[in-house]
Amino acid sequence: MKKILYFLLVFAFGLSSCEKDDICDANTPTTPKLIISFYNITDVSVKKDVTRLKVIGLDQENGIIFNESATDETKYLTSGDSIAIPLKTDTDSTTFTFILNSDNTTPSNTDQMKFNYTRQNVYVSRACGYKTIYKLSAQNPIETTDSGNDGLWMQLVEPKNSNIEFENETHVKVYF
Amino acid sequence: MSKYTFSICFLFAVFFVQAQELPTAPISKEINSEKPKSKTTKVVTEIKTDSVPLKKDRYGLRLGVDLYKLTRGLYDKDYKGVEFVGDFRLTKNYYLAAELGIEDKTTDDDRLNSTATGTYLKGGFDYNMYNNWLDMENIISVGLRGGFSTFSQQLNSYKIYSADKYWGEIPSITDGTKYTGLTAAWAEVAVGMKAKVFNNVFVGFGIQLKMLLANKDPDNFENLYIPGFNRTYDGSFGVGFNYTVSYFIPLYKKTVKVPETEKKGTKK
Repeated sequence: MKKILYFLLVFAFGLSSCEKDDICDANTPTTPKLIISFYNITDVSVKKDVTRLKVIGLDQENGIIFNESATDETKYLTSGDSIAIPLKTDTDSTTFTFILNSDNTTPSNTDQMKFNYTRQNVYVSRACGYKTIYKLSAQNPIETTDSGNDGLWMQLVEPKNSNIEFENETHVKVYF
Repeated sequence: MSKYTFSICFLFAVFFVQAQELPTAPISKEINSEKPKSKTTKVVTEIKTDSVPLKKDRYGLRLGVDLYKLTRGLYDKDYKGVEFVGDFRLTKNYYLAAELGIEDKTTDDDRLNSTATGTYLKGGFDYNMYNNWLDMENIISVGLRGGFSTFSQQLNSYKIYSADKYWGEIPSITDGTKYTGLTAAWAEVAVGMKAKVFNNVFVGFGIQLKMLLANKDPDNFENLYIPGFNRTYDGSFGVGFNYTVSYFIPLYKKTVKVPETEKKGTKK
């Protein structure tokens, strides 16, 4: 009898000590980023790498970090054919500045892109709380404006998948 | 916070176990001291068994309240609750048992804050494993219960998780949506003990291990706390604890039939 009681007490103590299970697992799908893929304007089916692209959110000091391992300015640069950028979770639009050739070796070209969307907050778990999923507006989903007089480097912008729920698919195609 | 309260109650549990063992210890000594006596003077014991009046068990209804839940409201501002307990002795060792409670609990997690309010009813039986001496009426029981709760859940505030912190952490969003008409059902194994402290007053404590069988979650949210079941974990398991004071209302008495095997045992 005593043994059973001691066992129960030990068991109960054990449960009380491993109560903390509220750390959000990094593998849990939470708020998705916007995936932009770059394509060749002359051959629209072929992906094209950007050159030293820097993306800065409106009113933000620093660019979005694309290269975590770099320590200097190059961590803000990407030369790949697609990027993932975070949209705001508290407003219905997010504006970014896209600077091509941003490190001054060749003339840079700066365009601005504003994404308009509707948001929905979806329950994930006790540890993660909620996530936001987006739907690009049916009318005027993306507004591009040229900063300066060098013309838009993003010649054609096309929403490919207006439901932004997962990060494994392209949401917006940009041709240049 | 909840972690501390948990630990404190288990601390109480330890005290109680020790308090329980004190009265039983001298009795076990008596057993030891009596045994050699009966060996040496067989005649005396035989006379004793004849002269002892027939042992009678009292049957009745025991009603009480869970002090742990009642007092928790005093030091935990996120909790208000009360639980009434009752049992009725069916046979020598079997008791019908039930608990009826009402709880109002605010769960404050890192990313979510919600309040569950509702009532619950648990019913089942207890089996007394403790062999009482003379007219003692202590209980060490193992029992099964079925539990049912009907409650509402209010999402007070929440945070949105995004792995990327570029736009900074957004402060928690006040929501206030109330989800009503929620239900849950579970089964539990209850282990506990009750000791008669004086007259018909009993104190006891118990631990319950619970398994959720049915749970109606609200749309776009989850039941983080179910009245009667307590905190929900990722799996369907839960734990509970109570510390009760109860009063026994005797209704009738039954003579204890001493089975043959027991007689043989006493003659040894």
